[in-house]
Amino acid sequence: MNADVHALTGAYVLDAVSDLERVEFERHLGDCDACRQEVAELRETATRLGTAAAVESPPWMKTAVMARISQVRQLPPDAGALASRRRASRWALRVSSAAAAVLLVTTTVLGVQLMRTEQSVEDAQAQTELMASILRAGDAQLVTQGDSSSGRMVMLASRAQDRMVLVTDGLPAAPAGSDYQAWTLGDETRSAGLIKPEDGRATLEVSGIDTAQQVGITVEPAGGSDQPTTQTIMQFPLV
Amino acid sequence: MGERIRRLREDTTAASDTAELMRRVARGDEAAFERLYDVLVGPLFGAIRRIVRDPAQSEEVTQEVMVELWRSAARYSPERGSVMTFAMTLAHRRAVDRVRSAQASADREDTVGRREVGRPFDEVSEQVATRLEQEQVRRCLATLTELQRESVVLAYYGGRTYREVGELLETPLGTIKTRLRDGLIRLRDCLGVA
Repeated sequence: MNADVHALTGAYVLDAVSDLERVEFERHLGDCDACRQEVAELRETATRLGTAAAVESPPWMKTAVMARISQVRQLPPDAGALASRRRASRWALRVSSAAAAVLLVTTTVLGVQLMRTEQSVEDAQAQTELMASILRAGDAQLVTQGDSSSGRMVMLASRAQDRMVLVTDGLPAAPAGSDYQAWTLGDETRSAGLIKPEDGRATLEVSGIDTAQQVGITVEPAGGSDQPTTQTIMQFPLV
Repeated sequence: MGERIRRLREDTTAASDTAELMRRVARGDEAAFERLYDVLVGPLFGAIRRIVRDPAQSEEVTQEVMVELWRSAARYSPERGSVMTFAMTLAHRRAVDRVRSAQASADREDTVGRREVGRPFDEVSEQVATRLEQEQVRRCLATLTELQRESVVLAYYGGRTYREVGELLETPLGTIKTRLRDGLIRLRDCLGVA
């Protein structure tokens, strides 16, 4: 058992961790009966903090909810495995090639935001130019996952140019002794390189996306692996 | 007042009853959901309000959580905890998501500004409906060290990450992690959570 991960029990129960840490911790939970027990008890405890804040709710809300549920199909019983995928897809914003041009301005702003600190002007310019040149491709696709407070990653890719760039913002350092590794997933899985955030930021340029259907990010032992050894923590669909 | 008393009584509904309600909800029983709604809405809405602050947004999040409970009722398993905990866990997560994405999408100033003109509609009923529960939690929070208490409160009610808590309290992250866990353990023991 990794003592460092284990110490996160409290923060995890209080939702005070980033999305990536949550994924890591939940993986740890899978192997740790004692931790699951502790999490269950501390959750029950945290719930008391919530119930102590109870207030009356406006009556119209009940009417609204009852009206809505009559139109919502219920999920079948299932393990919780789907939850995290659903979560990710909620954030996934896929931009069609036509919309990409419209979003150019937005993205340039985003790009500048992503690169605002502790970077030489030349680096920032090179990065902006790289993103701009991919955006100029007729088939540019832009997908954002996460948010800047808990780790955000933007994938900008073009099949026509056969390349992509991954940019991160607010990405927590990988757990000690490990690295983030990007993969192109499709008929075959290939490493696209390591992502080493400095102060949350990193850029990874990848040439040769070939026929990949997705880009996935995993946490691997330091230095990376030949093939993924853990589940992806983020996935980006490639059209 | 009638509503209030009814809710108080239902707050104390045995966990096994709500679990049974949940089982019926999972089979599509809308009447059972209505009863479950009555049991859960006060605590969920209250917790969400504490975190999100903005009344309109809190109402939105509460409705989303309720609909999600309906949708995912079949995924609830009593072995993993009470229905209230299942629901509150979801509510807290959603409230925190809302606060963080608002934070990320920009101007906190603006959000804070809007929060302050919120409708001040339920201060009184808050005191009446949950005084006992509140007092017990307050008493138990008082048994924590100051750093434990501040950390837990900032994380739970403030929706802060432990990194933010560390910055706000000017305390190393390792210490914050430990305090959050120790604080909750002490609360658990004081509240007598099995």
